[in-house]
Amino acid sequence: MNIMIGLINGMIAAATPILLAALGGTLTYYAGIFNIAMEGMMLSGAFFAVLGSYFFHSWIVGILFGVLGAILIALIFIFFSIFLKVDEFVTGVGLNLFAVGLTTYLLRQIFNVKGAFTDPGIVPIPKIQIPLIQNIPVLGKILSGQNLIVYIALIAVIFITWLVFKTRFGLRLRAAGYNSTCLDTSGVSSNLIRFHSLMLCGILCGFAGSFLSLGYVTLFTENMSAGRGWISLAAVILVSGNPLGIALVSLLFGFADGLGLFLQQSLPSQFTSMVPYVATLIALFIYSIRKKKKEALI
Amino acid sequence: MKRNLFVNLAGVLIAMLLGAIVMLIQGYNPAETYGALFGYSLANFYSFSTTLRNAVPLILTGLSASVAFASGPVNLGQPGQFLIGAIFCVIGGLYVDLPPFLMIPFLLLISMLGGAFWSGIAALLKKFFRMDEFITTLMLNMIADYLTYWAITYPLFEPRANHPQTPLITKNGFMPKWGNFNTNVIVMLLVFFVIWFIFNRTIAGYEWRISGKNSLFARIGGVKIEKNYLSVMLLTGALAGLAGGLVIMSGPHRFIKGLGANYAWDGIMIAMVANNGITATLLYGLFFSILQTGSLGMELITAVPSELITVLQAVIVLVVVAGRGYFELMIAKIATRRKLKDRDIHPQFIDQNAINREDTKL
Repeated sequence: MNIMIGLINGMIAAATPILLAALGGTLTYYAGIFNIAMEGMMLSGAFFAVLGSYFFHSWIVGILFGVLGAILIALIFIFFSIFLKVDEFVTGVGLNLFAVGLTTYLLRQIFNVKGAFTDPGIVPIPKIQIPLIQNIPVLGKILSGQNLIVYIALIAVIFITWLVFKTRFGLRLRAAGYNSTCLDTSGVSSNLIRFHSLMLCGILCGFAGSFLSLGYVTLFTENMSAGRGWISLAAVILVSGNPLGIALVSLLFGFADGLGLFLQQSLPSQFTSMVPYVATLIALFIYSIRKKKKEALI
Repeated sequence: MKRNLFVNLAGVLIAMLLGAIVMLIQGYNPAETYGALFGYSLANFYSFSTTLRNAVPLILTGLSASVAFASGPVNLGQPGQFLIGAIFCVIGGLYVDLPPFLMIPFLLLISMLGGAFWSGIAALLKKFFRMDEFITTLMLNMIADYLTYWAITYPLFEPRANHPQTPLITKNGFMPKWGNFNTNVIVMLLVFFVIWFIFNRTIAGYEWRISGKNSLFARIGGVKIEKNYLSVMLLTGALAGLAGGLVIMSGPHRFIKGLGANYAWDGIMIAMVANNGITATLLYGLFFSILQTGSLGMELITAVPSELITVLQAVIVLVVVAGRGYFELMIAKIATRRKLKDRDIHPQFIDQNAINREDTKL
């Protein structure tokens, strides 16, 4: 039983950063931006979260710095893609590499280390024990005692669903992606909507990054986002942006990750680390088969 | 052409100026730092030949990305294809032993096969299941990373080493050196000319270019898009694989953990900053190699961490690409104004926004 609980908790922990980044990605997806900078935003967020937590001895400042770090990348993205109208793809790839360079450079400059920075002075984000629920025999260990960011991610799913489908902003957001000229002629600047969507994406990726470096583990390593931004992009494409679908897909990826850890007893760790990426390929494969069938019906 | 050169030079200068500002803020002397950077990579024959050697993988992966992007397929799999090419080369070099004049072509060929095999997987997934190569190649990069890591940790590892690496490949597979000048540069130049010729002077290359610009037009004109897609993917995979093989044969002569982590994404950056031009890729590859090789000297002489160069490279890409787009916009604006003048319409009566929108469509 304890193994099962451990597996489920591992799955939730692995799913959280992907879920948060993918929620950010879904906002830009609806706004019609080909945003591939989630990887860079997450990485920058992870670094600055450690920076804030280490120097101010507070995880709250850590999260704040993490969010600001991700917003920094989002702002550069906005400057280049919306303001200067540079190709979004080029901007995204450039920014991802910029984030890798920036974080390794600052790691070297500020902490004087190469590769990884870990220190007892980094304050991790606490786990939240919910009274009453934590006393339920099995479920209590899953529903309660998770990292704060996990609960934020859950709230974010509901919030983003509401925002996209039930508010005026959401309508405009979808209009910006569906037909931006129409939105512009009706007197709403589609660029402004895109600006907002990218800022929100930055905030969500900031949370994802903070979770990576202050929740999942308490350290920063070079390039620690390790393709999670790309996986979250795949998740967005798989479910065509539906937030609830994204939550499900993220859990699936989390499960693949947890499964990888579980398999480590019988397989070399290099193969188990591959599992999430192989799972992404399989998910894309199933998606394309289903799409083919649908098209055949029409 | 001249206009292009101007935009590129201006972009690079602005980016380096930004780098200088960063250095000033941190209390370094920019002139001294840049001096050390270029001195270390260009000052004499010895350092310049090192720069040339380091440029080879950058230019080859850059060509791979340029050809792919210019022909349509978004092959982002250079890092993975590079690694698989390198591991194929190592396997060949460990288990086969031929005289050098056979061994070197053989190793080059199987590294190309390795790269083409890895990009071929993505191409087939696209062909049969319509899975976007843009995500599949990225995932295959990660998988290749772990696969090669596994290969050098278990089946191919060298027992006496204290970190994962393979034994040395056979001496017959080493690229010959003339002094410090490594002959991998000659292989790279040959490949460059072949690619330039295919891309600019053959029917296949013409079809690729047209498909990249407007695939619908190409299809209506009778171009077999799918066949071309497959050949472009295989060719660009082979190029990245060749880069991996050449790094093994001219550098460490064995597969070390972390090999290629610095090269392959740079290739994609170089293709982007070169606007997918073949010759521009060669020049930018050389320039990035100057920066990277010089960064070590910069760190030795002036204590500025070499990681600054990674940031500088990304800034160069963004600034040059943005500058190019902005410059074209300006030119279009001036052209519109001139046209309006010819028709005797005063510019101030024209809705400025309408012009902007027209320009961006161009």
